[in-house]
Amino acid sequence: MTMLLKIAWRNILRNRRRSAVTALAVAAGAQALLLFGGFQANIFTGLETGAVQRSGHLAAFREGYFLYGAGNPSVYGIDDYREVIERIAHDEVLAPLLNVVTPTLALVGIAGNYAGATSAAKTFLGTGFIPSDRVRMRQWNEHGVVLATAGEPPLKDGDPAIGFVGLGLGRILGLCGQLKIADCRQPPALPERPAVNAPAEDVAGLQEASFGSDGERAHDGMPRLDLLAATAAGAPNVVSLFVAAAHPQGVKELDENVIGMHLSLAQQLVYGRGKPAVTGITVQLHRTRDLEKARARLASLFRQQGWKLEVRDFGELNPFYVQVKQMFGSMFLFIAVIMGVIVLFTIVNTMTMAVLERTIEIGTTRALGVQRAGIRRQFVVEGALLGALGASAGVVVAALAAFALNHAGLSWTPPANSQPVPFRVDLWGRTALIAATWTALTLIATLAARVPANRAAKLQIVDALRHV
Amino acid sequence: MRGVVKTYRAGAVDVPALKGITLDIEPASFTVVIGPSGSGKTTLLNLVGAIDVPSAGTVELCGQDLGSLADDALSAFRARHVGFVFQGFSLLPVLSAYENVEYPLLLVGMGAAERRERTLAMLEAVGLSDQRDRRPNELSGGQKQRVAVARALVKEPDVVLADEPTANLDTQTGAAIIELMHDVQAKFNTTFVFSTHDPQLMSHSDRTFSVRDGRLLSQTAGAPS
Repeated sequence: MTMLLKIAWRNILRNRRRSAVTALAVAAGAQALLLFGGFQANIFTGLETGAVQRSGHLAAFREGYFLYGAGNPSVYGIDDYREVIERIAHDEVLAPLLNVVTPTLALVGIAGNYAGATSAAKTFLGTGFIPSDRVRMRQWNEHGVVLATAGEPPLKDGDPAIGFVGLGLGRILGLCGQLKIADCRQPPALPERPAVNAPAEDVAGLQEASFGSDGERAHDGMPRLDLLAATAAGAPNVVSLFVAAAHPQGVKELDENVIGMHLSLAQQLVYGRGKPAVTGITVQLHRTRDLEKARARLASLFRQQGWKLEVRDFGELNPFYVQVKQMFGSMFLFIAVIMGVIVLFTIVNTMTMAVLERTIEIGTTRALGVQRAGIRRQFVVEGALLGALGASAGVVVAALAAFALNHAGLSWTPPANSQPVPFRVDLWGRTALIAATWTALTLIATLAARVPANRAAKLQIVDALRHV
Repeated sequence: MRGVVKTYRAGAVDVPALKGITLDIEPASFTVVIGPSGSGKTTLLNLVGAIDVPSAGTVELCGQDLGSLADDALSAFRARHVGFVFQGFSLLPVLSAYENVEYPLLLVGMGAAERRERTLAMLEAVGLSDQRDRRPNELSGGQKQRVAVARALVKEPDVVLADEPTANLDTQTGAAIIELMHDVQAKFNTTFVFSTHDPQLMSHSDRTFSVRDGRLLSQTAGAPS
């Protein structure tokens, strides 16, 4: 074995320039894969962090809500949500894994701004939550990534009347000036029309969440929206929401539709004076790797208790995250295939040249008693060594390039983000990516060398010795 | 060799190299095969050395019918029983003189200590102890052929085949190599079979086979007259 490696190594050094070019091709392949893989890993962790901050790792819904409940959140509400949360929070298996367990209420409705000369209304997607829990969820950052999304305006547990809107919704509802939305102008003056009362006369009597003049004073300077939605009984209901800020959502569709509000306000809107419920119980873990364990335990707990609840993970709740992962996965595979083919042909070419140049040596060693398998082994080991050398060089160069890129002050705006973030290649600690890239390229080089190695092994001794 | 025929295929044409040769080579002899270029000398040596197989007839070496051996078995047979000295030296350029001589011993699985002892002794025998770390490109033609002789003899084979071993050497060096081979042949009691045009080499012959056009013309004891 020592002699085999010695001969292989010396033969690599024998034609230094050709060996260097071959190893460089492998190194370039390794470098491309590692840099793209590191960049991709940064995107994935960023998306994961954003998704987990927004919707937790897992969410429990009443069975059927995920598919049908968005059209009727009141029917698919979880009435006994406090007991469910209590059980989850104190479960001996789940408790150590949990960061936050909190109720949420998703709803749809119409938001109207009828203050002053403004008269605008827009359908909205609302989320009711407990502000302090939401703040804790937003602080989750297992991977230490720099997120592009701006911090949400902090709501207060003790003030259910305030909330926030998406930037686009703020613009549509004419709140540019009051919310100081950047790059947003007030709409042009409307043509003369009969005076419009706020809100429309047919629902004027429904507004139960009247904060009266005290409420107006308490939220001095905050624009007020009237939110209209159907209650659990199917009757229309209206509440007032004081908008603390407009918050960018990163995606236009969300930006023009989202309203975040206190859970109790959302419950007031959907359930009126009825028993308040929630549509989901959000579970955020300390670590993403505990997700499957927590999911299994939640499902088991729900079965034991006879609760008809289903568990969904953040991938199911954020299909965009999964789509981006799949897209980048496909791109990585595409690049990997191209690099693999380049390495394959480079090694085949180099080893074919080596076989041609060393035909007489092949004949000599065969005459001395080396078997065909020994000849094959010799060239395969040389190909493997070249591959390993190139892949190792690629790892080193990729690490240096990643360091340089991460300190070059570059920035970019990732998908579903509203602000640029530092451009980063997360290679440090990606042992699996590095090991897989190194192994795959070395393996391809080894397999590629088999083609000329087989040809060398099949040479007839007398023909090889006669080779000119 | 019994009725050995060897035919090569050149495109669509069959080219006969040996046309039914029968001969016996005495053990521990210094045997020479002579004949003009293209007469079949090299083919004859290749068949005796088990690096080629006859189209017809049988070759028996050390009591073994070579035709009955598969390729791997033939390789193992060569590794144990046959040594080669080639016209162009054919040393492995990436190995030093020492490693070139040691190489055949690795193929027979000899232990490191014995390998080292034998290699050093053989280098000593061919007068190259002080050149053992040099690569072939750092040696003269004569030194290369000495290494080749040492490599052929180090495993103490039953037969050494040398195809025109002095063809690429000047007269003086060729004479020295012949002397060397004669000495080690006597010392190790090995059978040497040469193909040659070199009268110096022929003069040392115990037995001479003359071939022409693929046929055995004559066999004589001693050097050809």
